[in-house]
Amino acid sequence: MKISKQARREAKQVFRICLANGTLDPNRVRQVVQHIIVQKPRGYVGILSHFERLVILEEHRRTAKVESAVPLSPELQSTVQNSLERVYGNGLNISFSQNPSLIGGMRIQVGSDVYDGSVQARLNALQESF
Amino acid sequence: MSTLLQEIEAQIAGVKTSVAKQNVGTVREIGDGVAKIEGLTDVMLNEMIDFGNGIIGLALNLEETEVGAIILGDYTSIKEGQEVRTTGKLLQVPVGKGLLGRVVNSLGQPVDGKGPIKSDVSYPVEKIAPGIIKRKSVNQPVQTGIMAVDAMIPIGRGQRELIIGDRSTGKTTLGVDAMINQARINQAADAAGDKDTRRLYNIYVAIGQKQSNVARVVSVLEEAGAMPYTIVVVASASDSATNQYLAPFAGAAMGEWFMDNGMDALIIFDDLSKHATAYRQVSLVLKRPSGREAYPGDVFYLHSRLLERSARLGEKYGNGSLTALPIIETQLGDVSAYIPTNVISITDGQIYLETDLFYQGIRPAISVGLSVSRVGSAAQIKAMKQVAGRVKLELAQFRELAAFAQFGSDLDAKTQAQIERGKRIVEIFKQSQYKPIPIEVQVAVLWAGQNGYFDDIPVDRVKHAQAKMTDYLTNRKTDLMAKIAKEKALSDALTADLKAAVTEFKQTYK
Ligand SMILES: Nc1ncnc2c1ncn2[C@@H]1O[C@H](COP(=O)(O)OP(=O)(O)O)[C@@H](O)[C@H]1O
Ligand SMILES: [Mg+2]
Repeated sequence: MKISKQARREAKQVFRICLANGTLDPNRVRQVVQHIIVQKPRGYVGILSHFERLVILEEHRRTAKVESAVPLSPELQSTVQNSLERVYGNGLNISFSQNPSLIGGMRIQVGSDVYDGSVQARLNALQESF
Repeated sequence: MSTLLQEIEAQIAGVKTSVAKQNVGTVREIGDGVAKIEGLTDVMLNEMIDFGNGIIGLALNLEETEVGAIILGDYTSIKEGQEVRTTGKLLQVPVGKGLLGRVVNSLGQPVDGKGPIKSDVSYPVEKIAPGIIKRKSVNQPVQTGIMAVDAMIPIGRGQRELIIGDRSTGKTTLGVDAMINQARINQAADAAGDKDTRRLYNIYVAIGQKQSNVARVVSVLEEAGAMPYTIVVVASASDSATNQYLAPFAGAAMGEWFMDNGMDALIIFDDLSKHATAYRQVSLVLKRPSGREAYPGDVFYLHSRLLERSARLGEKYGNGSLTALPIIETQLGDVSAYIPTNVISITDGQIYLETDLFYQGIRPAISVGLSVSRVGSAAQIKAMKQVAGRVKLELAQFRELAAFAQFGSDLDAKTQAQIERGKRIVEIFKQSQYKPIPIEVQVAVLWAGQNGYFDDIPVDRVKHAQAKMTDYLTNRKTDLMAKIAKEKALSDALTADLKAAVTEFKQTYK
């Protein structure tokens, strides 16, 4: 579906209203969506789908995925959480998961930033250097 | 002190073992050689993006929710959902003398099957043009070897002179002739062990042309022995629009290397009309808004930032130069179309080639009245100024008189003489392709023409007489020719010698 420029702009405005101190406020998001659905302003479908996209991207930006070859101890988990919050601020959605294909070490992704300290990544880098 | 050292040592050691941050994204859409990528929040404009398997993309559109990248190379193996990452590097091409004699693509990779390129330096394809402080005004000539150009539309090193005309009017040939002449001058200097003559290196950028045309140009250059001084950059009609879009920028980077290192280079963009078309195509698939003639709004900026990169640097900055001869192909002589007007406004003059003249047999088909060089006369050698100072005006007057003479036959003797002289000068300026003329020969022949030595020769014999005279001067008056080339001006003594030589020739010529 082609979303008009106008709809994009309005979605952007609505998105800004939903930010509190730089982070997305879930209550405002719910309210705003409800409001648009009820009021049906001109081009509201476009506004809603672009708004949805902005929210998804924002969520993604605030989501940290920590993968490790073996389960991390609770202490290590909180160390990782603290260091990430030092860099990216509070309010990160952090998920810890296990990924044996890493062989060893950790791979952390926050938004589009990746810190790959896994054995697998090093092997890949080594392979590329040949 | 030692505690400080220990402290930073520990920190540095930490950095060494720590994991580098990377910036990644996900391919959301792929098609037409363009990928739409989500993520890549740190990407820079014109940064190379790594698609894995040696495939590189170039970030051209940075939007709020996605990045538009053009793929360099084969994009068919790229899949939606694939992870890509930034490289922190702008697109670069190899530069240096190792490229001379080679034919390369827009990425500087060889396409001539002569093995790898020897180069240990790379330049970014997009570079900021030298600022005003580093530049110097144009004051050294580029001898094209084309008499009409060197006499009436002189080009200086660092200048941007447009070659414009319809298809098949001799635009490419003009550029090729200029390159052959540089090779001729360089060869002569190399053979004489002359280190003072500043070599001029050629870069020929072929954009959107048929492979066969490019192959023909390369073989002409090879035959003339010009390839050792020439780099050919090719993005032919069968290459992607992306590569065609990049080719002139890659060529400019190679030229800049010569300029930055105190040398001189001449770059020919053949042609920017096709380049604009390629850019329009790239912009359309990137879904950029389009304007006049469906070109994106920034097509003007595209060509101005390309041509701004040619310059003459001041002594403090090494004295190098990059001269540009962009070519524009017009449709039915329409110079007021969007791309021609843009490029005309950016360059320092134009050489206008006309179909009518071409079919009348006036080749090179340069329209003297419509061609100008706004800065080149400062670079013209004095001898040429002395003999050609008035020739442009005289030729223009001759055209008017000749048109007028068609209507009435009652012309006074003076006008009649002017017309007869004009006809002969037009003949003298005719020149066959791939035969550049040394500047001293141009000066001598023009001097003879201006001083009436061709007046008693029938118009259809002028070319013959000119060839014989050239022969005579180059083979029998070698010292005189060498003197003119060296002194670069016609002193009274030299003029007297020249007069004696030409008179002697006339006595033998039948
Ligand atoms: N000075 C010349 N004398 C004779 N033929 C010429 C001359 N200049 C060009 N030609 C011929 O005219 C044709 C078109 O020239 P070309 O340079 O390819 O034109 P363009 O690049 O403008 O399309 C070619 O076949 C070329 O050999
Ligand atoms: Mg051509």
